[in-house]
Amino acid sequence: MRFVYAFFIKTYLTVMKMKNWPPTALLGLILLITIVLITAIGPLLIPNDPYMANMAERLSSPSLTYPFGTDHMGRCIFSRIVIGSQATLGITVLVITTVILIGIPIGLVSGYIGGRVDSIVMRLADGLIALPEFILAIAIAGFLGPSLTNLMISVVLVKWISYTRVVRGIVLSEREKEYVLAARVGGCTTWRIITRHLLPQIISPVLVLATLDVGKIILIISSLSYLGLGAQPPAPEWGAMLSDGRPYFQTFPELMIYPGMAIFIVVLSCNLIGEGLRDKLGEKSI
Amino acid sequence: MTISVDFTQPLTNDYVKEETFFQSLPLLEIKNLSISSLGENKKEDIKLVKNINFTIKSGEMLGIVGESGSGKSLTACALVGLLPKSLKVTEGQIKLHGRELLNLSEKEMRRLRGNEIAYIFQNYQGSFTPFIKIGNQLIEALRSHRKISKLDAKKKVLIWLERVKLPANQVFTSYPYQLSGGQLQRAALAAALMFQPFLIVADEPTTALDVLTSENILDLLVELQKEYNCAVLLISHNLNHVLKRTDSIAVMYGGQIVERGLTNEIRKNPIHPYTKLLLQARPVLSRVVPEKLVVIPGEPGLVAEQGCAFALRCPKSFKKCSILPKMQSVGDSQWVACHAADLEADYTNASS
Amino acid sequence: MLSLVRKRLLQLVIVVFILSIFTFGLMKLAPGDPVMSILNADEMMVTEANQANLRSDLGFDQPVYVQYGKWMHGLLKLDLGTSYMSGKPVWNEMMERLPITLQLTTGVLLVMFSISLPLGIISARYPRKWPDQISRILALIGASIPSFWLGLMLIYLFALKLQILPSNGMGSFAQMILPTFTLGFSLAAVYSRLIRAGLIECFSKDYIQAGRARGVKEWRILWVHAFRAALLPVITVFGLSMGSLLGGAVVIEILFSWPGLGSMAVDAIFNRDYPVIQGYVLLTGVFVVVVNLLVDLSYYLIDPRIKQGKEGSN
Repeated sequence: MRFVYAFFIKTYLTVMKMKNWPPTALLGLILLITIVLITAIGPLLIPNDPYMANMAERLSSPSLTYPFGTDHMGRCIFSRIVIGSQATLGITVLVITTVILIGIPIGLVSGYIGGRVDSIVMRLADGLIALPEFILAIAIAGFLGPSLTNLMISVVLVKWISYTRVVRGIVLSEREKEYVLAARVGGCTTWRIITRHLLPQIISPVLVLATLDVGKIILIISSLSYLGLGAQPPAPEWGAMLSDGRPYFQTFPELMIYPGMAIFIVVLSCNLIGEGLRDKLGEKSI
Repeated sequence: MTISVDFTQPLTNDYVKEETFFQSLPLLEIKNLSISSLGENKKEDIKLVKNINFTIKSGEMLGIVGESGSGKSLTACALVGLLPKSLKVTEGQIKLHGRELLNLSEKEMRRLRGNEIAYIFQNYQGSFTPFIKIGNQLIEALRSHRKISKLDAKKKVLIWLERVKLPANQVFTSYPYQLSGGQLQRAALAAALMFQPFLIVADEPTTALDVLTSENILDLLVELQKEYNCAVLLISHNLNHVLKRTDSIAVMYGGQIVERGLTNEIRKNPIHPYTKLLLQARPVLSRVVPEKLVVIPGEPGLVAEQGCAFALRCPKSFKKCSILPKMQSVGDSQWVACHAADLEADYTNASS
Repeated sequence: MLSLVRKRLLQLVIVVFILSIFTFGLMKLAPGDPVMSILNADEMMVTEANQANLRSDLGFDQPVYVQYGKWMHGLLKLDLGTSYMSGKPVWNEMMERLPITLQLTTGVLLVMFSISLPLGIISARYPRKWPDQISRILALIGASIPSFWLGLMLIYLFALKLQILPSNGMGSFAQMILPTFTLGFSLAAVYSRLIRAGLIECFSKDYIQAGRARGVKEWRILWVHAFRAALLPVITVFGLSMGSLLGGAVVIEILFSWPGLGSMAVDAIFNRDYPVIQGYVLLTGVFVVVVNLLVDLSYYLIDPRIKQGKEGSN
């Protein structure tokens, strides 16, 4: 747990120390904060029950009661999108946190201690890197069966390896530097060297990688849900909503436009922040 | 000498090299040239080169000396119109044979580069594109200016590689990374001389090479320059090279020319304190090396924002130095920009 | 050069091995009984005897390592097993569908390069000017838009509203346009930025200045001197992005109902047709490794220094 605290506190400090955010990143930040707020107070905002079907009013146009209209089951699209943000954002946060908490320690150990652990991890990475993330996620979702939990597991399995690689690379280049040697000579324990001396070095690259990945993860999850491999109906997940509405798309395109817009805006705001962080922290390679 | 006849081939432009006509006029005239970096909103930000003047006659070799950051290379880049986009010539004139270069279009400038003004770079590894054979790059350069067949171009390139004392056939088919630094710089010399330009700008051509190779290259440059009677602008911070080979010298500090004149005059009678210190700080092999070389006081690159750029480091600075000194002539062929110049002249006379 | 090929081939073998264990392991871990799903699909009365027969036919009654050995043995002879659903050999089925996916990906690559090259070059020539800003915005949109949604919107606009392009199916040129553009745009957005970055770095190199100082024409500077060096990073990322291309192809195939490898895999997932999924994952993995091998080899053609470095050390 100390490790986790250390990581998040250092991340917080790194972000707080940054000055002169580029305006585009600020725009992204404002967008994202708004979205998070809407997600948090969502249940208070929605005019209708997102699960309640009302076949009498199916496929109705936007009105005062149904701001974005209703879907093929007569459910309020607006309410479903607002509640759906909980699923999308919640899953993403959970996935990215898990990925970071798995990827970083393995990368640190693999890079700093090396030896057999390192070679096993790297062979595994070689094998996984050959498989496109999306295909791997499809494969795992395919074998374990289509469900939201399996989708999350598959994204974690796909993503942790890139964090391990980045962290391992940095640790390998840092561990021979004088300050680490000096710390070792000074009698620091391995644990202390890793948490005190190496951890701060990996924060900014991991931060950049993670913000840019959040967008990608949302896209993967919604794409897989659209294919029917993720969230299952009637859950109001955005990708699943798009998949649901596909048969009615020709007559009633609103069914598709709003959830897609929602995905686009969330991913866009993450990418804006990620780009800003990358320019600011100078991680050009990622 | 016999080979040179082959090269009085027709030029693409009707700018015939009539040396007799131009001999009396300065070949290159730089008047009041200033270069500034551009800030965010395209406004002038920092003045890097400040109102400099000098001229070069055909066949003359002018040395520009000064420490790094003094604006030597920027001046040279401005000559061929290759300043980085963030920098701009803000005032002044650059005239080649009386023709204003700053008004030329990019197309005219391209025709002039290489053909009339050649440029030799300090970084010999950067003189040639790494994945194209030297021969092909030289042919490409030739064919950019002259309408000649590939075969003729190849012949000409081979002759010129020979002229710069390289194993021509081998170098022709080599990639740049296969050659040594000296060989590359010779090839660069061949690329520069091939067109028999009016002026060669050599921007620290030997700084990155070892002592012996650099002597050889510079000797070759002088030899070929004499043969083809082109002017050379030699930029260097190696005072020995400059003193030994140039006809005249311009000393730059902080973007200003502080002293210029004939090399012999300046060697004998330097007036500006900076020139003096530069000359004293140089180990001379013919004399016993003193126990401690004179060191120019202050931090290199310390430039006063107002007045004389050297004032902050000058041992003889006084109140008046906060006003920019004017260039004034001392004797027939020496100019200096220093308020202490009069006192200095008297002082030197008295002591000698 | 040879040593590199050998090294990469060895890596290919390792990757295929890891993939085979991975897919085989997943298949064994998979919940549900494939035997039941096959029998259910035949819609017959399922008896204990039926089950046992099929189980031994498929070799499921043997220990796992024997099963793996048999499977691996077949793999070497390109025998990936038979599809539970169609009863055809998986290899044959994949080869039938491969041309369709190749047609799609080739089209996508064409669209991608014809958008990203001009955009990248223009924005590298005028950094921070308006063409560059537009390409930056396009790149952001391209990286943020879900490709299936973009496809849906394009179908809505061109097939339903304007009715100038067909919304699905394949075969004609008109049917190629929407699918290739949908995926090509997203990839082009990212690529134009990479090409821009590569070119800007190249333009700052000394040898570009040297070429200009020799009076070489600007178009030659761009196409002969700068572009080749800029190709290196572009090709590298091309190899790495094979993944997005193949992954994207899955969604596009479903969206526009193309019967390619991707839609085969998705169908297989819903039918729990594990040999087909296995075959698909293996084929994709090998394909990506081979493309990356070709990318590595192409470095030699572009930059002679790499050849020198590698051969010199061996």
